[in-house]
Amino acid sequence: MNKKLILILIGFLWVGVALAMIASKNYTLRTGKTVLLETVPVDPRDFLRGDYVVLRYKISDLDLSKIKTEKPHYSYGENIYVKLKPGDKFWEAVAVQKNKSAAEDEVIIKGKAGYSGRKELGVTYGIESYFVPEGQGRDIEKSMQGNKSSVTVEALVDLSGNALIKNVYVEK
Amino acid sequence: MIFSLVFWLVIIYFIVRMSFGRQRKMHRWLRRELPSWEEKNIITAPQADAILGLYKLTRAKPREKMDMVKVLTLVGAIFVGLGVIFFVASNWQRIPGHMRTGMLLLITLSTLYAGYLFNYEREGFTQLGKSLLLLASLFWGGTIALIAQIYNISTSDNWFIMLLWAFPIIPIAIFFNNDYVHILASCLFVIWNFLYTVNNYTANYYYPVIIFALMLPFARRLVISRRINIIGLVAASIYCCFNKYEWLSLLISAGLLVYYLIQKEERVYLYTACLSLICWTITYFTVRQLQPNFYFLLPLGFILYLTYKDAVRENLVVCLAGLLIWLNLTLSSYSQPFNYQFHFLNFIIFQSFTGVIIYSAGIISKNRGYAFSEIYKIFGYLIAFLCTYLLSFRALLEEGPGKANLIYYYGSLFLTAIVALLVIDEARSGYFKNKASRLELTALLAVSLGNCLVLVNPQAISVNTVLANAVLVIFALTNIFLGVEIKKPSVFSMGIVIFALFIITRYIDVGWKLKEKSLFFIVGGLVILSLGTFLEKQRRKIIERMKTE
Repeated sequence: MNKKLILILIGFLWVGVALAMIASKNYTLRTGKTVLLETVPVDPRDFLRGDYVVLRYKISDLDLSKIKTEKPHYSYGENIYVKLKPGDKFWEAVAVQKNKSAAEDEVIIKGKAGYSGRKELGVTYGIESYFVPEGQGRDIEKSMQGNKSSVTVEALVDLSGNALIKNVYVEK
Repeated sequence: MIFSLVFWLVIIYFIVRMSFGRQRKMHRWLRRELPSWEEKNIITAPQADAILGLYKLTRAKPREKMDMVKVLTLVGAIFVGLGVIFFVASNWQRIPGHMRTGMLLLITLSTLYAGYLFNYEREGFTQLGKSLLLLASLFWGGTIALIAQIYNISTSDNWFIMLLWAFPIIPIAIFFNNDYVHILASCLFVIWNFLYTVNNYTANYYYPVIIFALMLPFARRLVISRRINIIGLVAASIYCCFNKYEWLSLLISAGLLVYYLIQKEERVYLYTACLSLICWTITYFTVRQLQPNFYFLLPLGFILYLTYKDAVRENLVVCLAGLLIWLNLTLSSYSQPFNYQFHFLNFIIFQSFTGVIIYSAGIISKNRGYAFSEIYKIFGYLIAFLCTYLLSFRALLEEGPGKANLIYYYGSLFLTAIVALLVIDEARSGYFKNKASRLELTALLAVSLGNCLVLVNPQAISVNTVLANAVLVIFALTNIFLGVEIKKPSVFSMGIVIFALFIITRYIDVGWKLKEKSLFFIVGGLVILSLGTFLEKQRRKIIERMKTE
């Protein structure tokens, strides 16, 4: 096979993959519904690694006795969908289910079950890290320590339940 | 089960080391020395070839000279690549996102083009071209990491990023014959498999498929890359044992076996196929609620057939270990309905008998002129010795009076009967007429009788302790005398090692209970040093005498 042709094809492949990555993000940006999520304080030891912030949300720890759930127990790593509804200020989890069905005013966010107790369920949504400009991580870190976090995350959730962070706000 | 796995892995390691380490060293030495003998006109070239032929060896290839250009360009490429990755890992905020992405892609594609240019279009710069292609592949990893960072694309599933890195660089490895990139891609796939399995808590069936279909076919002449992929596959198989991924290790084993049949000169395929098969039977046992796996014997039989047919000596060790693991798992599964728990003493005695039987199989094999008799003898010997050594500890014998596992108990008695039959058969054939054979018989009988007595009377802990230690001493002495008789320094030295081990262990056993440990260690250390020096002097003297005789 012509080496030059292969070189060109490799070039196209690389550019294609890069563009596909960006396009997937843009798809969520275009079609996603905006939800405002409340964060909770994170253990500072794990909080800042390099130049990205580790985030934890109120919806990361679910109390299964207070929300609807299809199953009493979810196995570690199981794919689940969490139904969110707008609360006073932030969006709140109202149900855990295995399908994507949701009402008009609700949003379904895709997650992965973590630890599962008798009533508790830990969930990760793939938006637990956020890259920040060099040096700015420390400010956000301080805002997330103590009893209450003053960091709010604006996230976009597309129709498939994929989420990504749009903005991170720090209340002064 | 885990204990059993570790136990057999230790045995395999020691046997392989003992059986083949020395021989390989000698072969290497011979291949290195022969050309210098030829140069000095000690032997002629046909004579050198005849010597090599005797040991089924080929002539050593002259060592490739260290090519400074090769090393410098490669190191330079790796340094620049790492630098760029570190650079993009830090946030580069002043430039807009799209422009940053464009710049990164431009640098990466330019490097790719430069690599192609020097590799194929400019004569005399092939090495630089190859290094630049590796650099472009490293840049590609940096580029996608930066894109994920710029656009805040979730990196929680890092395995996906590894896949996006690895796949697009494969064409460079395959179509441009770039060994470095092939190695890089192989490493990335190993990391990807690990991240995927950990993140998703599920077996990664894609991994062996990718490796068998895409990586190994193009690694026929690339030893490093081939070995990286094989190690990755074996690691995936071992991981299955702990995570109940039942079919993955079988798939890997089958794939490796097919590759062995295609490329027989790479014997590692056969060992690893056998290892993966062992992992499969362990996983089968855990997944199916401790059911015995008789299907295991079929592929193992085929591998054993290949081992003999192609004379892959080392693999016989893996096969034997596999067979023993399977036997133990089967006995464990039959223990379940009767609620017999794991009983350490019964377990060790049973292993010891299997060791004796394998050793006896080695004797029979030698008498009838079958291949690999030494492997059976070394394997059986090491198992029997290890078990005898463990039994010499009083603390272990104190566990004896607990509820016995009758499956292992009667299994041991059954094996005793087989040992007796084998010994009688060999005695009738006249094997034990010479002194060396009688020494072997003494050791076999000592181990068998000692084990039997401990097995049937586990309550007599003090008597059993003395008995087990006496067996260990007999083991050491028969080795020493046998070594002298057959003039084999390795057997003789092994006897000395066992004897020294016996003295040190018992000394620590006694001294550890003393309150004043400092004095114990000082005195003990001095005694052991003196004893060691004495034994070593005697050992050397006798070995020298053996050589001169």
